[in-house]
Amino acid sequence: MTSSIDRVLAVPCEGDDLLALFALDTGDRLGEVPVGSHPVHATTCRGRTVVATMGERAVTAVGSGGEVTRVETGVLGPSHFATANGELYVSCSAGDALAVIDPERLTLVDRVAVGAEPHEIAVSPDGDRLYSGSRREGVVDVVDTESRERIGAIDAGPDARVQGVAVSPNGERGYAVDQRGARVVAFDPGGDAGSLSDGEPIRREAAVGADPYDLVATADRVFVPGRGDGVVHEFDRDLEPIAVHEGFSRPVDVFEVAGERWVLDAAAARLRSLDGAVVETAAPGLVATPVGGAGDGRLAVSHYDDDRVSLVDVDSGTVWTAESPAYPFGSVVV
Amino acid sequence: MTGKHSNGDGDEGDSTENADSTENATRRGLLRAAAGATVAGAASTAGCLGVTTPADVAAQNEVSGNVGHFVGPSWLADNREDTVVLDARDAERFREERIYRARRVPFDAVTARESIDEGDVPDADAIASAFGEIGVAPDDDVLVYGASVGSRVTRVAFALAAVGHEGSIRVLNGGLSAWNGRLGTGSRDRVSPTDYEPERNDSAWVTHEWLADRVGTFNADGPGLVDVRVPEAYLAAAGSDLLNEDHDRHGHLPGAVDVHWVGNVDGRRMTDPGRLVQLYEVDAELDRSGTVVVYGDDNVDPTSTWLTLKAIGFEDVRLYDGGFGEWANVDGDRGRYPVETATNVVVETDGSVGGDGDGGDFSCTG
Repeated sequence: MTSSIDRVLAVPCEGDDLLALFALDTGDRLGEVPVGSHPVHATTCRGRTVVATMGERAVTAVGSGGEVTRVETGVLGPSHFATANGELYVSCSAGDALAVIDPERLTLVDRVAVGAEPHEIAVSPDGDRLYSGSRREGVVDVVDTESRERIGAIDAGPDARVQGVAVSPNGERGYAVDQRGARVVAFDPGGDAGSLSDGEPIRREAAVGADPYDLVATADRVFVPGRGDGVVHEFDRDLEPIAVHEGFSRPVDVFEVAGERWVLDAAAARLRSLDGAVVETAAPGLVATPVGGAGDGRLAVSHYDDDRVSLVDVDSGTVWTAESPAYPFGSVVV
Repeated sequence: MTGKHSNGDGDEGDSTENADSTENATRRGLLRAAAGATVAGAASTAGCLGVTTPADVAAQNEVSGNVGHFVGPSWLADNREDTVVLDARDAERFREERIYRARRVPFDAVTARESIDEGDVPDADAIASAFGEIGVAPDDDVLVYGASVGSRVTRVAFALAAVGHEGSIRVLNGGLSAWNGRLGTGSRDRVSPTDYEPERNDSAWVTHEWLADRVGTFNADGPGLVDVRVPEAYLAAAGSDLLNEDHDRHGHLPGAVDVHWVGNVDGRRMTDPGRLVQLYEVDAELDRSGTVVVYGDDNVDPTSTWLTLKAIGFEDVRLYDGGFGEWANVDGDRGRYPVETATNVVVETDGSVGGDGDGGDFSCTG
């Protein structure tokens, strides 16, 4: 069994085109891998670490033997990953396609046409459906992952700019954030029937704080940080309001860690729980990654504007902080 | 004449010899202008008068240096008897005034397309038939002119290339206004039709399948690719009235560099060749020895860039005849034919087309 002492935190650093490696336990800098222009997110798949490089028409895979492979997407702006049906999907955010990659052979096997400028993608619990939000066209495209075909689109409303997309853990609700309209919408994800068609209406919607970006859907709650207003809206699964949590500077994400919900703040050097507990951090964090299971209270925090990375334990505070290459972003624990 | 006088050229003279010399020069200029000659002396003399003569205009449109396809009016004056002259303008302007014995090209016919499995391509039979109707033979040396050197003119040149024209293909720099030779007017002259058998020149164009096979390689390790449309169309600028409403999708082919075609034209003549080399080889970083594909919304405007690149020495320039209109609305699996809406590869141009007939946020933090 691999112990945590052997685990590595791999951090794409957008400003230096590097994947920086840190010992998860100590923060020791283990090295760095050139991965191409503007790396932003990383994931693991079939024993490989795969990095989305937004400035390329390709993603970069790093194998267990250290070999680095460039996998062409054909379209500019790979940003977010999802795995479905044994294949790796990546949104090409400067185009109108999802690239589908065979993670074993590291080849492009298909491209799925979706609304222009896809960004976040979510997958149903059974892996049969994939949901892709379009920044430009204001829709959530629904993709059948068996046939790799777009089978419909949910219209998020006039002039919508869809950023965050999520599916509830039981797969019964889909949600999308309309950044431009400061709204969150709930939609029927369609299930197995494949009954979705273009222009499928949303089921519910609710106003949220200004400039929302991501959202989090749990079994019974939906959380939407409003970056512009410093608030986090909490809803039930039908988007009935539960609470508006105030007092943040620029909340960007919500994590369920060690039984509590913690808010990452891009303009304040701290994590704050929705119950008011506070953990000071070395600098504001833009992106964070839970490093363990449900009982693990640790988050790897990327301090984007300060070129640092931290491991933070919500019970005991900062475990370590290390300098990183420029603009560290969405990390992955390997 | 004796004594101090004004010679009417704006020069002051004080001797009979000088006066005679100046008058002779003036006369020579007039005679040369009337004959269509375009020597520099004629232009400079007229310049002193503050008047632009036909000779001035002709001289301004001469083409020098290592430039292909584009010729000035003196070339036409010297080769008029051996050249078939084609007028690319509309019928009304053709009737009003034209180069003597020019033949008007039926423009719609030379833009005709046919659909094959790989996509839309020039309809070689229709194009050849149109040239045959106006008496063009495959081995004729041809010169095309219009109101300027805009895209109607270059489309005719492309159409000739597309049907495998064996004779030379030239374009009159400066258009009709640069010509100071004999003019014609009224109804067209009678010509005997020819039986123009096309030799399809597949190397002059590409199809959407050809392009789809190379998505991801353009302007990288594959062919060069130039989008000739306005930057607003290239970038799919939200809300812009320059977006084509007939298109399902907006943006550009992945990897294409945007160089608006009007940068090829300076008023009625071609842009200075040095500036064009800067534009395409330095700013757009295109490789003159490699294959370069050009496209626009239709199959007319990009031919300006097609001919311009060939003129400044690019060796293999091809037109995507189906254009972005075909790509944006393609049937079937659009994942094979993606568009991009963001990039930073827009080359600024400052051209303008004279004449009267030629017619986002991209980040993961925002």
